Amino acid sequence: MRALSFSRALALAAIVLGLLFALLSTTANHALMDFVIRLASLAIFATSLNLLAGYGGMVSFGHGMFYGFGAYFFALTMQRAGVSIPVAIVASILGSALLAAIVGVICVRLKEIYFSFVTLAFQMLIHATILAAMPLTGGDQGLRGGVPRPPFLGLNLSNQKQLCMFSAFLLIVCLFAMHHVVSSPFGATLRMTRDNADRAAYLGIAVDRVRLKAFIIAAVFASIGGLLQALFVSGAYPDFAYWTVSGEGIFVIMLGGTTTFLGPLLGSVLMLLLNDFVSRFTEYHGLALGSVILVVALGLRKGVGDFVVDWLSARSEADASERTKTTEAAS
Amino acid sequence: MDLDSLFSCFASTSCVITQTTSGFIIGMLLFLVAVGLTLIFGILKVVNFSHGVFYMIGAYLALTVYQTTGSFPLALLAGGFGAALVGLAIERAFMSRIYGANPLMQILVCYALILIFDDLARLIWGGDFRSMGMPDVFQVPPVFIFGGVAPPYYIFVIAVAAAIAIVLALVIARTRFGKIVRAAAHNPAMVSALGINTVAIYALVFAAGCLLAGLAGALAAPVRTVSPGMGFSILIESFIVTVIGGMGSIAGALVGALLIGMLRTFGALGFPLFNEGLMYIFMVMVLVIRPSGLFGKEAA
Amino acid sequence: MTAALEIRDLQKSFGGVRATNNVSLTFEAGSLAAVIGPNGAGKSTFFNLISGALRPDYGTVRVEGRDIVGLSRAEIVKLGIARAFQVASLFSTFTVGDSLLAAVTSGLDQSERMLSRFPPPQASSRAEEVADMLGLTSKWRTKSSTLSHGDQKLLDIAIALVREPRVLLLDEPTAGMGPDERWRMIEKVREMWTRQKITVVFIEHDMDIVFAVAPRICVLCYGEIIADGTPDEIRANARVIEAYLGTPNAEAPP
Ligand SMILES: Nc1ncnc2c1ncn2[C@@H]1O[C@H](COP(=O)(O)OP(=O)(O)OP(=O)(O)O)[C@@H](O)[C@H]1O
Ligand SMILES: [Mg+2]
Repeated sequence: MRALSFSRALALAAIVLGLLFALLSTTANHALMDFVIRLASLAIFATSLNLLAGYGGMVSFGHGMFYGFGAYFFALTMQRAGVSIPVAIVASILGSALLAAIVGVICVRLKEIYFSFVTLAFQMLIHATILAAMPLTGGDQGLRGGVPRPPFLGLNLSNQKQLCMFSAFLLIVCLFAMHHVVSSPFGATLRMTRDNADRAAYLGIAVDRVRLKAFIIAAVFASIGGLLQALFVSGAYPDFAYWTVSGEGIFVIMLGGTTTFLGPLLGSVLMLLLNDFVSRFTEYHGLALGSVILVVALGLRKGVGDFVVDWLSARSEADASERTKTTEAAS
Repeated sequence: MDLDSLFSCFASTSCVITQTTSGFIIGMLLFLVAVGLTLIFGILKVVNFSHGVFYMIGAYLALTVYQTTGSFPLALLAGGFGAALVGLAIERAFMSRIYGANPLMQILVCYALILIFDDLARLIWGGDFRSMGMPDVFQVPPVFIFGGVAPPYYIFVIAVAAAIAIVLALVIARTRFGKIVRAAAHNPAMVSALGINTVAIYALVFAAGCLLAGLAGALAAPVRTVSPGMGFSILIESFIVTVIGGMGSIAGALVGALLIGMLRTFGALGFPLFNEGLMYIFMVMVLVIRPSGLFGKEAA
Repeated sequence: MTAALEIRDLQKSFGGVRATNNVSLTFEAGSLAAVIGPNGAGKSTFFNLISGALRPDYGTVRVEGRDIVGLSRAEIVKLGIARAFQVASLFSTFTVGDSLLAAVTSGLDQSERMLSRFPPPQASSRAEEVADMLGLTSKWRTKSSTLSHGDQKLLDIAIALVREPRVLLLDEPTAGMGPDERWRMIEKVREMWTRQKITVVFIEHDMDIVFAVAPRICVLCYGEIIADGTPDEIRANARVIEAYLGTPNAEAPP
């Protein structure tokens, strides 16, 4: 799939936002608004995981720690510091970048599966810390009392419609930012370290530093996904930092496809639909979801987005050979 | 932090003995789970993130069998071999398809298995915490060693696990099967070229790992609460054990497990609120100083 | 003038195996030399020591007068040493063009920039020049992993060359090729050497090629340099004949 040009993508994003706005001003469909907000949160998180795992080859099984951390850090900042929402967002970004730098320094040197489970261990450490730091976080009850949402720049996020528009906007901003990262020289360097770290080192690339940077960037975006969730539910719960968040993220990027930038977005849509569908029919959510995962992972072996890409490239190749045939015939 | 009680414990033999026995039982149970994990990784080259599932299955089966028959030996056998059978089925149906696959796929399949089995346990045994109770044979007064308390059941568990460790080491070091397994870990292509059925070896090793985890679950059932999520916490701890000991090393699993066991019991005295955190800090220290673990060969 | 590459008393052992034993060699700037030797003689190890993949047990390696022992691979690259590998070492998901562009970018101190777009405009002329020189232009959009074996070896060299090294080490550029393809490959290497005016050291098994192409030949055997000189000198060297053909008188074919 040829990448969209920047201006076209921008136009497309503006249209999507405009349509959403128009839709929301005619109907106030709560299910739709909830869906958009949850989608924004999950898609930002999943895309950031794909930046790390798909582009960087670092399959983190603990990426959810930054999602949970972002949610708690943001909610706590709002509750305790009484700052405005943008300030708290910036603070959460800085906080998660710092956490990622510390965890990353230890993890990025590790290879493949070692990396996966050491990140998982760190996730469990964060989770355990949240449970233990009862006075601050409310322990296993979660952080309650609501997250204050004072209006800023004319936006009132306690109004669900405005929160929905804000989420959609934030999602688009984050997607553009992450896309910029992966299509920059840094993105190319990151992919080089993924494909062949040894060779990259022979080209003078400081592999671990590149990996650490990617780790921090991905963590920052994951925390944005988390804080959006905290805004949505007006609180933060230990489940946000539980390992299942990471597992779900991995399933989402696998479902949508890791070879395209927008695969995780597609995966997030499918995942949310699947979740809603499953919970309508059974209380044994894990049983149903797990079975679907097994079918997708072992049956399809690649994501839905990957199928689309393969199909498109097969078609364009067919087109190309068609064209050469006709030109040959003409000459 | 409560360093005073830690130091005052070190000052009395009885306290040290009591804590050490508890450390041993935690460590030995952990060893049984971790050694399976490390064997499976060493030979099959997959990290079985769903290993905790078999620990849980072992515990539940032991509980059910004990409560219906009243026989503890039967419960142990049911836990171990039940988990091994389930493991064998899973290896054939799912795991065998992800050998050599990318980590993403491996993690995903294991994630699915955990979701499925945790829910199955909930479906079959209900979602609440269950407890099996101490078998009658062990309901005798504890043994006192230099004034320290050592419950008989603890001694039994430690003895069983130690016996398993010895048998395992002998099987791997001395038998033909052990030789084949070591060769398969080193060079699978060579082993299958020699006409040895690597598929069967892989299935056996996986099932053996599950057997040990199931047995650990069964042994833990009398002293721990049994619940659907119990597999995951032991999984994380056994990962930490293998990271500390070095992936693929049996001796490493033993030493790592005992270190974690001691850290947990003595840590509980000195750092009651941050006991779990100590374990992670210890892991990080090992990773920084020796990334391949205390007994690991190649660099991680 | 200091030599491009000056190696003194280089030693490296793996356990009991002495892979490099007291090797001293000097390569003048702009020279072309071949390293030959039987399998397992320590040729790849020799390159690994120079390029910083391995640390020597003893000895010095100077690049234009600067000692590089103990420097990281990245620092050694910055001093102008590049290498290609016995088994082509590529970026499998990159196209030929992107591999070269990315390799150039990695030398532009831009490789970690996040706000510009890849490829940076300055990268394309060098990448295209090298692709053209090695005959890879028609494969520009082909994915590395789907290239033919020969093209993979060429791309491997191109990736090394694109960074404008002053010393280029080629580990068996013709490995795994048929006779005709070997000659074509080595012609490209020679042409590249003449045009780039850099120091090229290559490892080669095919004697016909070595004697035809290399003005200077170094023979490595069990980690030691047993001969070093022009093709004529090497042909006449008794130790070389012994190393390759066994005892000179008894077993040499008539
Ligand atoms: N990393 C290593 N660890 C242990 N031994 C090594 C290592 N690298 C090379 N050796 C040993 O050093 C010796 C020289 O190996 P090297 O690869 O340098 O030979 P070579 O001349 O390149 O051979 P070939 O013609 O087959 O490429 C061999 O005996 C090899 O087994
Ligand atoms: Mg070699």
